[in-house]
Amino acid sequence: MVHAVRRIVIVGGGTAGWLTAGVIAARHRSRIPSSFSVTLVESPNTPIIGVGEGTWPTLRTTLSRIGVSETELFRKCDAAFKQGAWFARWTTGAANDGYYHPLMLPQSFSHINLVPHWLARNDGSSFCDAVCPQGKICDDGLAPKTIATAEYEAVANYAYHLDAGKFAPFLQQHCCEKLGVRHVLADVRRVHLNDSGDIRSLETEQAGEIEGDLFVDCTGFKALLIGETLGVPFVDCSDVLFCDTALAVQVPYETEASPIATHTISTAQSAGWIWDIGLPTRRGVGHVFSSRHISVDDAERELRGYIGAAAKDLSVRKIPIRTGHRQIFWKRNCVAIGLSAGFLEPLESSAIVLIEMSAKLVAEQMPVCREVMDVIAARFNNTTEYRWGRIIDFLKLHYALTQRDDSAFWRDNRLPETIPERLQHLMLLWRYQSPWYHDEFDRIEEVFPAASYQYVLYGMGFRTELEPQMVEGSANNAQRAMRENIAHTEKLRAGLPRHRDLIRKIVQHGLQPV
Amino acid sequence: MTTHELLNSQNHAQLRLLPRRGAEPHFVQIVPSEFVAAAIACPILFSKDPGTGAFYAGVALGLKPGEAALETKEDRGGFEPLSLQRDGFFISGDCIAIDRGNARFSEVEGEPLFDSAQQPSTALRRMQRVLKQLHEGIEQTAALVRDLKELKLIEPIDIALSFDDGERLTLEGLYTVSRDALRDLADVDVLRLFRSGHLQLAYTVAGSLNQLSVLAHLRNRKLAAAR
Ligand SMILES: Cc1cc2nc3c(=O)[nH]c(=O)nc-3n(C[C@H](O)[C@H](O)[C@H](O)COP(=O)(O)OP(=O)(O)OC[C@H]3O[C@@H](n4cnc5c(N)ncnc54)[C@H](O)[C@@H]3O)c2cc1C
Repeated sequence: MVHAVRRIVIVGGGTAGWLTAGVIAARHRSRIPSSFSVTLVESPNTPIIGVGEGTWPTLRTTLSRIGVSETELFRKCDAAFKQGAWFARWTTGAANDGYYHPLMLPQSFSHINLVPHWLARNDGSSFCDAVCPQGKICDDGLAPKTIATAEYEAVANYAYHLDAGKFAPFLQQHCCEKLGVRHVLADVRRVHLNDSGDIRSLETEQAGEIEGDLFVDCTGFKALLIGETLGVPFVDCSDVLFCDTALAVQVPYETEASPIATHTISTAQSAGWIWDIGLPTRRGVGHVFSSRHISVDDAERELRGYIGAAAKDLSVRKIPIRTGHRQIFWKRNCVAIGLSAGFLEPLESSAIVLIEMSAKLVAEQMPVCREVMDVIAARFNNTTEYRWGRIIDFLKLHYALTQRDDSAFWRDNRLPETIPERLQHLMLLWRYQSPWYHDEFDRIEEVFPAASYQYVLYGMGFRTELEPQMVEGSANNAQRAMRENIAHTEKLRAGLPRHRDLIRKIVQHGLQPV
Repeated sequence: MTTHELLNSQNHAQLRLLPRRGAEPHFVQIVPSEFVAAAIACPILFSKDPGTGAFYAGVALGLKPGEAALETKEDRGGFEPLSLQRDGFFISGDCIAIDRGNARFSEVEGEPLFDSAQQPSTALRRMQRVLKQLHEGIEQTAALVRDLKELKLIEPIDIALSFDDGERLTLEGLYTVSRDALRDLADVDVLRLFRSGHLQLAYTVAGSLNQLSVLAHLRNRKLAAAR
C-alpha cells in the first residue's frame, strides 16, 4: 500500500504561510475537502515579521490565480503600484548619481538586443530611457494603468508596494472563506517523528495533536521544522552580502494629497542603503546596513538624516537579519518556504517572489504519495538552490559594480574574494558581450530576467567592448525600436493618470474584472 | 457653447424644438429597454466610462470616430437611441434642464414646448418620457452588468477589420457577452437570469455582434462608391 499525500500542514501565518496555503489550495481545489486538506497552524503569540512591502510582478499572477480581487487588495492592504526601483548614489555616491531598474522589458526585447546599439550611440542618454518608457513614467509619478484597465492587467508592467501587516490577514480571510483552508491558532510545542525520521505530527499547546503527510515550514527566522527539528544546516552568505541589520520606520505624509512614488527608492549610505516605499497611507523607510562597518547609532543617525524633520518623533524598529539559506529546502516530508528557508537583504524584493515560486513548485509537483516524495524533493532542492544562487549573484552585482571609494563597506564589497565565482565569470563575459534573453539564464522561470541584468549593468555605467561591425547588421531594426520607444513613451505620458489619483479611484469605484 | 438652464414655462414659453442636428456619433450609449430595437440593425457592445471604469452599454453606429455608417434612422431599422432623442435635454434633480446653446432650440420654428395654457406640449411630454426611461435605464444597466460580471459572462472583444482599400481598423476597449460562458451556465443561474429578464438581454447582446460585419460591409460599399 502506498502512503497517499492528502494532508498538507503549514506552520506559520506570515506572508509565506498564507501565500503557500492559497497557492496550494487553489491548485488542488477540486479535491478539497473530500480527498485533500490544507491546514495552517499559527501561533497566537508570536507575531509575524510585518515588514516586506516591495513585491515583483509575479504577485499579480499569483493573486489572480488564487482568486483574490485586485480592487480588494488596494482597499484592504493599502497597496500602491510599484514600477521598479531607483538606485541613488550606488555608482559614484555623488548627489546626482542614480538609475532606474524598471519592470518593463526593453523595447522589442525578444527580437533585438538594444544594448550594443545604445552603447554605440554613446549620446549621453540613460539606458533605461533609451529602451523603455518606465523611467519617465516614474519621474512623472504616473500610474501604470487607468481605471478602465481590467484587474491585474497592465499598460506598463507593475508590482505592488503593500502594508505587510495587512497582507497576511487579507490572504488569511480569502484562504479560509473561499479556498477551504483550515486555520488553527495554536503554538507548536513539540514535533513528533516516526521511525523513519519523517514528521508524523505536531503537538500544540491549544489544539492537541495535528497529523499531516506533508509539512511546510513557514515559521520565519525560527525555522522550527527544517532547522530545529530536522537539523538542516544554514549556509551563511555574509561573506558576500555584508548587511546584517535593518532599522525600519514608518513616515507619515505631509498632506493627504502628497504624491506617492511609484517605484522603490533605494539610496546608498556609508555602510548600507535605505529603502523608501510609498503606500497611500504612509511611507515605509528602512536602513539596511553592515554592523561590521557602522555602529547602530550611526546607522540610525543616517536614517534620521535621510528622513529629515519628519523623523523627529518616530520610533525606529531594529531587526537583525541573518544572510544565507538552508543547505537544502525540502528534507523528508518537510519543505521550508519563506524566512525559514533563508533571507537576503531586500535590495530587489526577492523574498516574496521566491515564496511564490516555491509555493507554485510545491503545488504543481505535489507528490501523490510518500514513495515519490524524495524524487520531487530532489528536484525542488535543485531548482531552489539555483534560484538562491542567482539572487545572491544579482544582489552582489549592485555592489560589485560600484565605483565608490568613500568607505570600507564599498571598498570591501569589491574585493574579489567576496564575489561568487559564477558572477566573476559573468562579469568577465559581459565585458565583451552583453547579457540578453536566454544567453546565460536557462531556467524556465528565472527570478530575474536578463533584462534586469541589463538595467543594472548599464545603469551603473558598466561598459561592454564593442566592435562596430557588431551593430551594423541590425542598425535599422534598432533605430526603429528606439523610435517606437519614444512614441510609446509620449503616448503613455499623455494617457496615464497620476498615481495617487488612480489609487483613489480604485478604492472608490473598483477595477473591473475584465 | 453650453449654457444650462432649468426649463420652466415662464422663461421658455416661446421656446420651440427642432429635430436633432449634427453628425451621428459612432458609439452611442443605450439602456436595456432599447436592446431589442437596437439589435435589429446595430451591434450592442459594452464599453467603460473613462472616469470610473464602470461598464455601460452602447451601440456602434460606425466603425471609426467621426464616421457613422448607420447615418439615418432608416439605416438603423427605425431605431433612434434615446440618448440621441434627448439631445439638449438633461435631468437636474427633479427638474429638466436644457442646453440653450443647442441648435435644436429656436423661438421661430419647430414644435412648441409649452401650450397656450403654459402646460407641457406633446413634444415636451414625449421628452419627459425619454428622460425618465433613460434615467431608469442607468439603474437597469447597473443591475444587468452586476449579473453579467458575477457570472463571468462579460468578455473583452478585440475587433480587427480589414477593408477593401487596405485600411485595417482595430476597435479596442469593447466588451460583449460570451456565448461560451452562456452555454456553460449552471441551471440555477439560467433560471435566475431568465426570471430577471437578463438572459434575454444577454442573448440580444451576443446575437447583435453579427451586425458588425454588416457595418463593415456597408463601409466597404461606401468606400467603393466614393472611388
Ligand atoms: C527588513 C526586512 C525588509 C524586507 N523587505 C522585503 C521586501 O521589500 N520584499 C520582499 O519580498 N521581502 C522582504 N522581506 C522579507 C519578507 O518580510 C518575508 O519574506 C515575508 O514577510 C515572509 O515572512 P515569513 O512568513 O516567512 O515569516 P514571519 O512573518 O516571521 O511568520 C512566521 C510565522 O510563524 C509562526 N510561528 C513561529 N513559531 C511558531 C510555533 N512554534 N508554532 C506556531 N507558529 C509559529 C508565527 O506566529 C508567524 O505566523 C524583508 C524582510 C526584512 C527583515
